[in-house]
Amino acid sequence: MVLLKMERITKEYKLGKTVVRALRGLDMEVAPGEIVAIMGPSGSGKSTLMHILGALDTPTGGTATIDGASLQELKESQLVTLRGKKVGFVFQTFNLVQTLSALQNVELPMIFQGVPRAKRARRARDLLTRVGLADRVRHKPNELSGGERQRVAVARALANDPEIILADEPTGNLDTETGAPILSLLQELSRQDGKTVILVTHDPDAAAIADRIVRLRDGCVSTSGRHAGEETAVPSPGHDAEGRAVSEEANTSSLDESTPGSVSTSCRHVDEEAKASSSGFDDRSEQPEAHPPVEGSGTETSTLRVDPEGGDTNA
Amino acid sequence: MRKFLDFLQLAGRSILHRKMRSWLTVIGVFIGITAVVALISIGLGLEKTINEQVAGVFGVDTFVIMDENMFGGGAHGGGAEEYALDLDLLKSIEGVKVAAALRERTGFVQGQPDEAGNPLQGFLPVLGLSPELMTEFQSFTGELTVMPGGRLFEAGDVEVAVLDYKIAQRLRVEVGDTILVAGDGDAELDLTIIGIMAPPEEEQEEKDGAGFGVRFSAGSEGDTISVPYETMDLLWGPADDVLVTLVRTEPGYDVDEVADRAEEALKARGSDITAVTYNDISEAIGTMTSTISAFLAGIAGIALLVGGVGVMNTMFTSVLERTKEIGVMKAVGAKNVHVWTIFLIESGLMGLVGGIVGTVLGLGLSALASAFIGRFFNVDLIVVASPTLIIVTLLGSFALGALAGLWPAWRASKLPVVDALRYE
Repeated sequence: MVLLKMERITKEYKLGKTVVRALRGLDMEVAPGEIVAIMGPSGSGKSTLMHILGALDTPTGGTATIDGASLQELKESQLVTLRGKKVGFVFQTFNLVQTLSALQNVELPMIFQGVPRAKRARRARDLLTRVGLADRVRHKPNELSGGERQRVAVARALANDPEIILADEPTGNLDTETGAPILSLLQELSRQDGKTVILVTHDPDAAAIADRIVRLRDGCVSTSGRHAGEETAVPSPGHDAEGRAVSEEANTSSLDESTPGSVSTSCRHVDEEAKASSSGFDDRSEQPEAHPPVEGSGTETSTLRVDPEGGDTNA
Repeated sequence: MRKFLDFLQLAGRSILHRKMRSWLTVIGVFIGITAVVALISIGLGLEKTINEQVAGVFGVDTFVIMDENMFGGGAHGGGAEEYALDLDLLKSIEGVKVAAALRERTGFVQGQPDEAGNPLQGFLPVLGLSPELMTEFQSFTGELTVMPGGRLFEAGDVEVAVLDYKIAQRLRVEVGDTILVAGDGDAELDLTIIGIMAPPEEEQEEKDGAGFGVRFSAGSEGDTISVPYETMDLLWGPADDVLVTLVRTEPGYDVDEVADRAEEALKARGSDITAVTYNDISEAIGTMTSTISAFLAGIAGIALLVGGVGVMNTMFTSVLERTKEIGVMKAVGAKNVHVWTIFLIESGLMGLVGGIVGTVLGLGLSALASAFIGRFFNVDLIVVASPTLIIVTLLGSFALGALAGLWPAWRASKLPVVDALRYE
């Protein structure tokens, strides 16, 4: 069963006159209950992907479906309802409403869903108790520590009992000590409540709780692999080495990209399509010449379409 | 609508969070509202005061017959013109209980001789008064007092005169003396002086002056010779020189109807007159005061507009600085209409608070101003706190705030969620 399915997702922004291609034909699937860490350097398209996964944004091309609903086919108001009910967000900068108490912040998503006042307050209190803030319900965000704020944010993300928790650098503004409880909380949500947790992170510690790590580079998935998970707190050396190897490889391809006529290897199929429509098969035949490391192409194609099973065998 | 209360709470919190700026915005609104409420209240108070004064003079059963151009701003610009009148016809009209008229001529008058034996004489204004003016219409004439030893006209008096104190001195006459008054042609009469008016006290003078120019002792010069109305007929023939006529209707008759009837009948006789009732005057005063009020309120409205722009400015700033918060709200499931509503309520609330403060201050200011104006012009101005005005003001101030917030709120609601979240 697939909860989130991204097929050949492209996303383009216009920044002045230049078109920024944040995603370039990304494929990805997420199964229910999974913890997936999305990693990658700045500008690799992590945030854009997260916005699409959370129905905050719609892709320019490709098909994005959340629980069977195709984002492009939904109206703006339906998107709002979808993310209101199915997705809970946890942000790097917490993004709590400063004027509201912890309790009211947790109530906020329920207000927009029209949950009755008493029920809302009860649930908000329960959630804050669950994240260990039973004695902080009346505090305003500026009266809470960073770790406490992020726990309020997690409680808020759970308010409408969503299936998906999307956490964008949840430990990015926290030290290791305060970050760890947040991570174990997210892990617990997946293990105990069966929530699907998607983590966007730079932090290897955060990625360590993931069942699977999806690495992005230049708007595409560069690798996706089953992680050691609960058994080991840090990634295995072999996996680490693999990741590094991949990123070096990707680096060369992005260098190549600066030379005219070259394309990013990991997104080849999209660029091929674009070129095929204009100049036929010539480009495709030229391509191996543009990229001397032909041996690499085998591993790259395997990462083009990533599904949990495929990732499994890779690892 | 359950959400509305929640949104109200959210909006209220956000206003309170930015106390300083919210208050400054509210001040901008309430200055305008204060001005509007104060000016309109003063206008209403003035109108009510004048109306009550007019009502006090007129009662509910009296009307005045004036020259056609006198009332309603005719071609002559409101100057008093004399008119012809058939008083007997007027008295015979159904519903008329009492009618009293006042006519004026300038005639040759000769008093007592001076020390050298030369008779004092000259052309002087002579007023013909129906005795009923003094007995029935005291609210119009005010208190008329004669000097000791004299009296005013009574029914049946003919060859008599009442003199103002100054002219009595100049003609060297006292009660019991006679003066000679010459009319048209050969008509002349020796009139016995039956009374001399007491010199008016200053205050009395002013109070009478507050009426409608119906002055019976032609001016403050004190040089008027008054004779009975009938006597004028003997000197100058039928009345074509009437200044004013007062009519009281029989109980049970509608004063406006009787006035219409009288006007019609007299006009048919060639009198260029108009019958003015309390309602006519009240209406005219209303038109006048509401024109003034509208003008003043228009000026105050400019202040209000400035207040509205202030709200708009605050809301735009608020949208900008809460861009991220808007992004968060949308990320957790707020629809555009929710964001829009919250911001609209927020600006509306600021308008409403401005309205409440402004109404209270405006009413206070109008009470203060009324007291001041009242002292200055020596009248008791009525202070009006009109419930309609208060309700309309409060609704209007909420609407003003909401209107000013309409555009900023729309902008806020249309912010793309991804951009809003990224905003720092």
